[in-house]
Amino acid sequence: MLHIRNLNARYGPIQVLKNCSLHVDEGEIVSIIGANGAGKTTLLLSISGLVASVSGELKFMGQSLRGLSPDKIVGLGIAHCPEGRQLFSPLSVYENLMLGAYARKKAQKDEIEEDLEKIFQLFPRLKERMNQTSGTLSGGEQQMLAIGRALMARPQLLLLDEPSLGLAPRLVETIIQTIVDLNTSGMTILLVEQNARKALEISHRAYILETGRIILQGRASDLAEDSEIRRAYLGKDYKDLSER
Amino acid sequence: MDKVEYLSPEAWSQWHTELLQSTVNRAYNRVPFYRKRLEEAGLGPDAIESVDDLAKLPFTTRQDIAENYPYGLFSVPLRDIVRIHTLRSGQVNPIALGYTKQDLKRRTELTARFFASSGMNQDDIVQICLDPGMGLHGQDLKEGAELLGALVIPPDPVSVLTRIRVMVDFKTTVLVTTPSYGLHLLEIFKERNMPLASLNLRMMILLGETLTDTTRQVFERELDVETRAAYGIFEASGPAMAYECSEKKGLHMALDHIIPEIIHPETLEPLEPGQEGELVITTVTTRANPLLRFRTGDITSLQTETCTCGRTTWRMSPVKGRCDHVITVRGVKISPEQVGKLLNQAAGGRDLEFLIVLDKWKHLTQVEVLVAMDGNFFTGSLPELHNWIHDTEDLFLEYLGVKCRLRPVELRTIAPFVREGKYVVKREDFERGENR
Repeated sequence: MLHIRNLNARYGPIQVLKNCSLHVDEGEIVSIIGANGAGKTTLLLSISGLVASVSGELKFMGQSLRGLSPDKIVGLGIAHCPEGRQLFSPLSVYENLMLGAYARKKAQKDEIEEDLEKIFQLFPRLKERMNQTSGTLSGGEQQMLAIGRALMARPQLLLLDEPSLGLAPRLVETIIQTIVDLNTSGMTILLVEQNARKALEISHRAYILETGRIILQGRASDLAEDSEIRRAYLGKDYKDLSER
Repeated sequence: MDKVEYLSPEAWSQWHTELLQSTVNRAYNRVPFYRKRLEEAGLGPDAIESVDDLAKLPFTTRQDIAENYPYGLFSVPLRDIVRIHTLRSGQVNPIALGYTKQDLKRRTELTARFFASSGMNQDDIVQICLDPGMGLHGQDLKEGAELLGALVIPPDPVSVLTRIRVMVDFKTTVLVTTPSYGLHLLEIFKERNMPLASLNLRMMILLGETLTDTTRQVFERELDVETRAAYGIFEASGPAMAYECSEKKGLHMALDHIIPEIIHPETLEPLEPGQEGELVITTVTTRANPLLRFRTGDITSLQTETCTCGRTTWRMSPVKGRCDHVITVRGVKISPEQVGKLLNQAAGGRDLEFLIVLDKWKHLTQVEVLVAMDGNFFTGSLPELHNWIHDTEDLFLEYLGVKCRLRPVELRTIAPFVREGKYVVKREDFERGENR
C-alpha cells in the first residue's frame, strides 16, 4: 500500500532522515520505534507532505506522493493524527470532527453523516460531549477526538503519532484497544509510539529508527524478544535480566 | 504455507532494499571490520539505494571470519549471544559463529519451513544420519523437525547396522542424510539380504553433497521413495538455505533471510541469472554474525523466474563443484591447505609433500593421504613411524571430522602430481599416473 525508498528529510541544514526505506501492506499495523529525536515524527510528516525538504521515493497505492500538497495527500486516503492532538480548542467536538472531513466534497454529505455516526459508535464519549468545546475535554477524550477527526477523512491509511502520549495507563489501554479495533475493521495503520512495548504488542511488523536510519526491522513479536531492543526501548523490566 | 515465499518481484525488491540497508547500517556502525572494509571501498552507510547496489560492497571470505576470531565480526554485545559454534577453518584460527536467541529461533523456523515445503508433517518419523563433521547441520535439522512436531531420531554416533536396525524398528518414514551415505545404507541393506519391505520410508531428504540425477533415480526406484535435495552452509542460515519443492526444478532459496548472487570466481564480476559461477551470500536477518557478500566457493547458477509450484523465491541449480580445491566428503569440506597444515603440525613444523587420493568404498568416499617421507624426517625406526601415523590419523579425525588414512611413500611416487600442482586425485587417476 505504502512504499518508501531512500527517504531523506531535512530541516534546513539538519538532516533528520537518512536513506530510509520501508513499506506498509494493506491491513497491517506497522510501528516505528525509536528514541526521541530519531526522526519518527518527521517520517510521518514527510508522508503527509508537511516537510518541505524531502528526497527519495514515496508511493501510495502506486502513486507518487512527492510534490503533492497535504490536502491532496489526504484526498488520496492518508490521514494524519498528529502528536499532541493539535485540536482546535475553542471549537466544539462536532466542529473539530467536521474539520476532518473538510477535504471531502459536499456531495458526500450522507457519507459524512454515516462516518460521524460510526465515530460516535467507536467513541460514545464524543457523542455525549458533541457540543462541548474541545479544550474542556480530558486528555483521553482529546486523543479520541483527534483520532475521530482523522477518521472523518475516510482514510485507507491512518498515520498515528504518539497516541498514548501523556495519558493515564487506563486510557492508554483504551486507545490501544481502539487502534486494534480499527485495524480489525480493515484500517491500515502506521504507528509512531513512545510506548514501544505496547506498540510491538499490537503491531504486525515494526521498524527501528536510530538517528535517522532504519537499523532493524521485522515481525513485531520477534523484535519484542530481541535483547538489544528490550534494553534500548522496552524499559527497566529487562534491565534486571541483562545486567546480572 | 509461508506467504513470504510467494511475494511478487516488486515486493522482493522492496524487502531486499530495506533489509540490505538496515544490515549495512548495523554492520557499518557495529562491526569495525566491516566499517573499515566499506570505507576502504569509499562507501558509507548510504551506499545502498536499492538491492542492485549490493555489487558495490566488498566480499567476505572464510579467511576473514577466521582472522577476526573470536569476536571481531559480532554485531551485538557478547551478552546477547546465547550460543557459539566453532568450525575448522583451514586457517590458524578456527571460525567462531555466534547466535542470538532470535538467530536460533529464525534458523529453527526456517528449517521447519524447509521440511514442511518438502512434504514432511507431524506424523513423520524422521531419522537424521550424518557424519560428526556435519554436526552443526544435524542440530538445526533436529530442531526444525521438532518444531514441526515430527518424531526425530538425531544423528547419534552409532554404527551403520544400528542405524538400520533403528530405521526398521521405529518405522522411519523420512531419512535425512547425504547422497553417499544413503547409497551406502542401501548397499549394506542389500548385502545383508534384508528385505526392503521391512522399511517404512516414504521420503529421503538429501543434503551436504550434490544429489545427481542418477543417485536420485536409484533411491526412487529401489526404495520407492520421494526425494528432495537441499543446500546450506554452516556460516549462514544453516541447512535450509535452499530446498526443493515437489516440482524438483531447482532449490528454492530462503530469500527472506539471504540475498544470493553469482559472480565470476576470477574476475569477481556479478553474473546474470542462468550463468554459472560462484555463489555469494549476504545475510539480511542475522543479528550476531552478519555476512556481507560471503564467498561460498560453490559453483552454481540462479533462476529468478517463478517456479511452477507458484513460489517466487529464486532457485539455485545443484552445486556443480568448487572454485577452489576443497573436496566434500559426506558433506564435510576438506581443503588441501588444511591437510598441509595438519601434516606440518604433526611433523613438528616441517612441510611435508602430500597427495590426497580419493576412493569409493560402498559409495562412501575414502580419503587417503600419501605423505612423502624425506630423509630428515624419517629416522629409520619403523615403530616410531607407525606411532606417528597413528597419532596423525587421530589428529585428522579430530580436526577434519572424517577419517583419513595416512600412507608414507617415497617422494617420487607422488612427485608427478605434486609437480603439476595437483593435491587431490581419484584412485584410478593415481594408479594410471603411477604406472606411467
